[in-house]
Amino acid sequence: MELIQTQLKNTPVLELKGELDHGNSPALGAAIDEVLDAGERIVLLEVSHVDYIDSGGVSVLLSALRRLRGTGWLGIIGPNANVRRLLDIVGLTLDDAFVVFAGPQEAENALKESLEA
Amino acid sequence: MTPGRRALFRNLTVEASPSRLRDIRRFIEDIAADATLDAERTFDLKVAVSEACANAVEHSGCHCTPLSVTARVAGDHLEIEVLDTGGFHLPSALDHNTRNHRGLGLPLMVALMDEVRITRLPQGGTKVILRLRLH
Repeated sequence: MELIQTQLKNTPVLELKGELDHGNSPALGAAIDEVLDAGERIVLLEVSHVDYIDSGGVSVLLSALRRLRGTGWLGIIGPNANVRRLLDIVGLTLDDAFVVFAGPQEAENALKESLEA
Repeated sequence: MTPGRRALFRNLTVEASPSRLRDIRRFIEDIAADATLDAERTFDLKVAVSEACANAVEHSGCHCTPLSVTARVAGDHLEIEVLDTGGFHLPSALDHNTRNHRGLGLPLMVALMDEVRITRLPQGGTKVILRLRLH
């Protein structure tokens, strides 16, 4: 897995590439914690180049959601059909603080709305 | 070999370490290609096998005990057997206080496979059998 931090409209974006599993998901967890510890309440994960995720990755997303619920949200940009299906199976996509975006443009629109609200 | 008949029996034995989960997935990709599974079923199989193996890895303290993954075609099913020398632990799905939501592994296996069978072996160890219909 490769992890790069960028920004979209001053909101932190973590770009992931490769496979997110039990072995490497703690690295993502640490990166998300760092962003949240810095006071950010919106975190975006760009996953269009992630071709595999299992409960190791899902655990990290659940932990982030627990910290954000009620105060912010977690956006996932560009999951492929398999990744999206797995997020559906574990019920993540039903969570109000979890938002799935088809691409960066949709995420940017949501950020604008969030900032205006 | 009789024309048109496919034999499939393959095994990979590695140490029960998190760093080997990736190798196990590459092995499963080969199996899935041999069995001509589509991309969706291949993904499902990789996740289910990884969950079974991750459980074994988590409970192998030294990450040095053997973890064996065997694939075979049984009738119209592809069967993957995950064998380890530890015990299969069922973590509480309701434990919201730990970072590790390990309770997700078993529900995922059940959701993605046609059949999941977990057996505690009398000599110690656990056998997980995952079955996927081929047609």
